[in-house]
Amino acid sequence: MSVATSRRKRLIGISLTYFGLIMLLVVFIGPLLWVLGLSLKTRAQIFVTPPVLVWTPTFEHYARVLTQADFIASFMNSLTVTSASVALSLVIGVPASYVFARFRFFGSGAMFYTLLLMRMLPPVAILLPIFILFTRLGLANSRIGLIIAYTTFSLPLIVWIMRDFFEGLPKELEEAAYIDGASRMTTFLRIVLPLARPGIVTASILCLLLAWNDFIFAAILTNNATRTLPVLMATYAGAETGTDWGSMTASGVLVVIPVIIFSLMVQRHLVAGLSAGSVK
Amino acid sequence: MDQRVSSYMLDVPETDLRKSTSKRFGSTLSSWVDRHFAVLTVMPTLTVTILVFGLPLVLSLMLSVQGWSAQQSLFGGRFVGFANYIDLFSDPQFTQALWLTIAYTVITVFLELAIGLGVALLLNKDVPFVKAFRTALIVPMMITPIVASMCWKLLLDPNYGIVDYFIGSPILWLGDPTLARISVGFVNVWQNAPYVAILLLAGLRSLPSEPIEAAAIDGATRFQIFRHVTFPLLTPYIVVALLLRTIFEFRTFDNVWVMTGGGPADATKLLSVYTFMTSFFAFDMSLGAAASWIMLLIVFVFCVLFVAASRRKENAL
Repeated sequence: MSVATSRRKRLIGISLTYFGLIMLLVVFIGPLLWVLGLSLKTRAQIFVTPPVLVWTPTFEHYARVLTQADFIASFMNSLTVTSASVALSLVIGVPASYVFARFRFFGSGAMFYTLLLMRMLPPVAILLPIFILFTRLGLANSRIGLIIAYTTFSLPLIVWIMRDFFEGLPKELEEAAYIDGASRMTTFLRIVLPLARPGIVTASILCLLLAWNDFIFAAILTNNATRTLPVLMATYAGAETGTDWGSMTASGVLVVIPVIIFSLMVQRHLVAGLSAGSVK
Repeated sequence: MDQRVSSYMLDVPETDLRKSTSKRFGSTLSSWVDRHFAVLTVMPTLTVTILVFGLPLVLSLMLSVQGWSAQQSLFGGRFVGFANYIDLFSDPQFTQALWLTIAYTVITVFLELAIGLGVALLLNKDVPFVKAFRTALIVPMMITPIVASMCWKLLLDPNYGIVDYFIGSPILWLGDPTLARISVGFVNVWQNAPYVAILLLAGLRSLPSEPIEAAAIDGATRFQIFRHVTFPLLTPYIVVALLLRTIFEFRTFDNVWVMTGGGPADATKLLSVYTFMTSFFAFDMSLGAAASWIMLLIVFVFCVLFVAASRRKENAL
């Protein structure tokens, strides 16, 4: 094979790769960009055929959505419920993951697999008894009920990621701390936790996504006053989409923008977390 | 503990009393915490798991063998044996939902794996800017499923949607039974194939490079290398991705709920939708509990397989 043909072959290979990569963007990002575009068009521009490709963006839909009491209330509900459940599940789950990584005790294996099962079983199948119990306890239709549900179902994510993370930390530091007379609690809080920060970031993103994106728990456990953004969005997008595409797309963008920005900021951790438990 | 503190107090000179008791008390507390560290730290997780996961599971198992309605007290149901389960399997709506869910899961998981593998191989190429493409690809799967489904509902709109504009004729994607099934499946594949791609890409990056280089030196073509070296090495990752996606496709709910609500004419009424509607629309709690338990049992089998597969992979590597 001459040098010229092999170089030509490589060039073709690289152009094919880029063609494939650009097709990926068209298929996976294109539709989202189109919807983003719709949210920046006037009502007339949205419904014109053939579609307008060049226009001066308008923020009228965003201005309208952001002054809607419904949207603001749901946004605050989502924010409250998500942040509370992420914080709570970290406080409960991180110490437990440390123990799962460092101690073997009666039932620790069984507990770990129970947590795994919790992550795997379909939420719709556990929703009914939770709804019944929460109704009897007066927790239905309250943010607290939803926070309890999200906290519980975030625990498997935390334990799954943090146990692996703690197992990867060297034991020597902890042993040195014990020799110096530090208690287990002090060692955990002062020595282990600071080292575990990257793992905690990963775990909290996954919990955040779980709570922010969930629809099914919120649909059943909240009412009009306590509903979260996905529930509100589902009512917009319900049976008939109507003609207010501007508000729909603008509020959709507002729902996903915080998550996308946050995900891209911590992208490296995120990819590690998404493949945790399945790729080692 | 009280006794030990008080007997200790007797030996201490009057002046040091307060200081040393508090010190002593603090140290006994912290040594008590130390001795029970494992139990104390696991206790909150255990408690929450039992109360919000274990207890509901038991309750729903109990309801599934009872005739119970929401007006009754929790334990006021009448035992009916397997009557609810028998009712389910003699309900054509349920059996249709069951078969539909199985077919739906098989097809979407297969497509996600095929597309995911292709995308992973593409993203594994070391060309300039490939990292930017990897980053872009995580966007679809971060998006709230409800919002993604709403977007696609607009894109597929027969009057003003961009898809039908490109096709050139107004197709009722969500109005026709077959097309509706394809549409909801498509949206799920669109949102989750990138996830499979990221899993498999992580797998590809962790493969040893020696066997691949050796095959290349021996003159194997690219396809031969993939078929006989890369693919077998990647198989454990593919199996894990397959089981994970099966477990998660089986629960599909959000996109169906927003896009079709189970229609048209129950064409997209998956098991999750059936269970949801029976429990919260028909308010047939006992039947809903039985349907829930059938879903749980099916997924449970896949969970056991998943644990076995990930253990085998860990041992193999």
